[in-house]
Order: sequence, then structure tokens, then C-alpha cells
Amino acid sequence: MAGINEYVILSCILFGLGTIGFLTRRNALILFMSVELMLNSINLMLVAFSANRADMGGQVMVLFIFAVAAAEVAVGLAILICLFKHARSVDINKFNVLKW
Amino acid sequence: MDLYFIVFAIMAVGAGLFTITAKDALPSALGLLTVFIALSALYLHLHAPLIAIFQVSIYAGAILVLVVFVIMLLITPDEELENLQKNMSYRMLGAFLGAYLIALLAIGTKGVKDLIHQQALPDGFGHPALIGSLFFKEYLLHFEVASVLLLVALVAAIYLAKKNI
Repeated sequence: MAGINEYVILSCILFGLGTIGFLTRRNALILFMSVELMLNSINLMLVAFSANRADMGGQVMVLFIFAVAAAEVAVGLAILICLFKHARSVDINKFNVLKW
Repeated sequence: MDLYFIVFAIMAVGAGLFTITAKDALPSALGLLTVFIALSALYLHLHAPLIAIFQVSIYAGAILVLVVFVIMLLITPDEELENLQKNMSYRMLGAFLGAYLIALLAIGTKGVKDLIHQQALPDGFGHPALIGSLFFKEYLLHFEVASVLLLVALVAAIYLAKKNI
């Protein structure tokens, strides 16, 4: 069985990929999916440490994160639909009504 | 390190790379789906069968389907989203910052193996019945708060997606 170190490194790589995607892309939907990637990397870390410490609390925490992620996706996509109605685009550079 | 971990770790990282580099949103969503499946396989390896099932049914089944629906809804065929000449410097800066973050995390977690030893797993670790009893004994309040959160999100999503806002 792979040790905790390998899982931590994999989780860090996935989190970094999500960060790179969030910082470099302009399509709002892809930004959204990058955030999902980061959330999943954190879940992997929690489950890995749960198995390492023999503590079920980590898995329960992951289930709560699932609930929060579902809520986040529902509200986030609804906001995205609203933004699309205003700007007729999913390009984040066109969402500039708050720009001074 | 065993073969099972290596196969699914490479699958997750490769699909993650594809997710953030794909030109359109739909291929990107397919990449994300592959990441979810790979992570689900890794959860099975980590004595978390319930999490693995929920990863497939909630993330790949519900959340990603919702994302794909919205991608179909907000389709903009003639839009030139990724104009390379226009924002190359921002992209380079973003990629640099992300790579810097990965390097920092890699350095910061280097000593984890020496610090934390594998604890012996008790019998039936990760069994769904154990998680259920934890939910309804220790984490009952959190469970109810999560259900209220989901209800609020449901109402908010319906309100926001209405016609005139």
C-alpha cells in the first residue's frame, strides 16, 4: 500500500493544477471546474489522513464537504446563468460591471 | 508504492492537466469526470468504500451533470474566448504562481512521512454502518445544519435562475 507521503504529493499536485487553471483560464465554466478540482484534492488528503490515523472523522468531514460542494455548485451555476443573461458571454473579462 | 496507486495517480494528474488545458468547456468537463473516477478508485484503496460510492454518485453523477447542463445552456459558438496574444502575460503569471504553489507545497510536505506513522486500523474501518452511527451520534447537529444548507442552496438557486432578476 502506498504511504501517506505519496497521497499528500498527489493531492498537492492536483491542488496546484486547480490553482493554475483558475489563474490562467478565462472561461467562467472552466474556472468553476478548477475549483472543483481543488476541492477534490482536499478530499483526497482528508481520506488519506483518515486511513493513516485510523480516525473515521476524516471520512465524515469529506461527506460534509460533498454537501457544501453540491450547494456551491447549485448557487454558483445559478449566478453564472444570471451573469450570462447580462453579458451574453462566459468570458470573465466581460463581467466588469463592478470595475471602477 | 504499488501499481494500483501509480496507475490511478497518473490517470488523475493527466486528466487534471487535460481539464485545465482543454480548449472548450465540454472536453474539460470530461477530463474532470476522469479525475473523479480515478479519485474514487483511490478512495477504495484507502478503506473508504462509502466515500468512493458517493464520489461517483454525487460528484460524477449529480454535480458534473449539472455543470454539463449549464455548459449546454450557455453555449457561445462564435466567441473567441482564449485569445492568446491578448492575455499571454497574465497566463504566464498565473502559470508561474501555480507552479510556485506546487513547489512550496512539495517542500512543505516533504517531511510528512517521518512525522506520521501508520496507525493500526481497527476491524471494519470505513464500514458504512460506522459512518452512519457517527453521523447520528457525534455529528448530529452538523448533519442537520448541512441539510438546512442544502435547502437554502436549493431556494437560492431557483430564485437566481428565475426569469427577471
